Amino acid sequence: MNSISCSACGEWLIPFIDNQIEDSAVFNAIAFHLQDCANCREQLEIERRTITVIRALLTRSCCETAPVTLQEQIAHELHRLELEQLAGFTQTEIIRSYRRTEITIDGETQIEIETSHEIRRDFPQI
Amino acid sequence: MPSKPKNEKPELTVSEPAAGGALVRVDREKESAAERSKRFERDALQYMNQLYAAALRYTRNPDDAHDLVQDTYAKAYTSFHQFEPGTNLKAWLYRVLTTTFINTYRKDQRRPQTSDNEAEDWQLAEAASHTSDLGKSAEDVALENLPDSDIKRALHEIPEEFRIAVYLADVEGFSYKEIADIVDVPAGTVMSRLHRGRKQLREKLTEYARELGYVKGGN
Repeated sequence: MNSISCSACGEWLIPFIDNQIEDSAVFNAIAFHLQDCANCREQLEIERRTITVIRALLTRSCCETAPVTLQEQIAHELHRLELEQLAGFTQTEIIRSYRRTEITIDGETQIEIETSHEIRRDFPQI
Repeated sequence: MPSKPKNEKPELTVSEPAAGGALVRVDREKESAAERSKRFERDALQYMNQLYAAALRYTRNPDDAHDLVQDTYAKAYTSFHQFEPGTNLKAWLYRVLTTTFINTYRKDQRRPQTSDNEAEDWQLAEAASHTSDLGKSAEDVALENLPDSDIKRALHEIPEEFRIAVYLADVEGFSYKEIADIVDVPAGTVMSRLHRGRKQLREKLTEYARELGYVKGGN
């Protein structure tokens, strides 16, 4: 038997109406109790009506849209943050290696320097 | 510059919400900063109107609401790498909004807090619900006739903790668990705030309806 008292039922009434009872044993116990108890059923109806009315009134009246200036400022701010972030990630280190060639012909020396390879490394800025 | 709407319609949505977001696998390790920015714009900006309406309820004035939403987006953007793709982005944004509000905007307000007298509120609400047993459905109709401005006024007059709980549950449809996470209190506390908040709200609304002559009786 899943019999619970009226006061226990009362405690669970709001989450019951809100459909927030995860424990199915508790849910069933309340459902059983409500079947048998006219007082609790009446209380349930009162609470349910309050919640229904409040929900309807609030959703009807609380639906402002963000002003265009706000939208623009947010777009602007995000863009600024994005640039800041990107700037932080494009710090580049360049490492070059050179090849030096020295050729001596008839006592005359010719030196040639050329870039052998180049490494570009992007790293985050702290 | 990210494309921003020049017109007055706040349609910032680029792709469809939740469903699409959940299907796209995001590898946060491989994602570049630019890609993350794009993802943020695509997924997060669509909640701007809702966050603004919530911010109006939180702060109770348009200037602060404006700043709060702007701060919220800046914070959300810079910590977006912490958001786990596939989880509830709307709830995450509300968490940022609520935390920012509590830490920044509420500090300035020197208002009596509610926690101390919650028990009395509770008992008062109980007492009132038993005495105001006059034709219920007629009263509901009367409440429905109240102008939007009165409904907002009533919501603004109830204590902040209650107001936030009621708003998150009854306007945004968040579960107790989600609200607990957003507000950072236990689910049991959410439940009692919600209950008391709704009761007080209903009383205020009934009072206004009475003043306007929509409801007879009372004192």
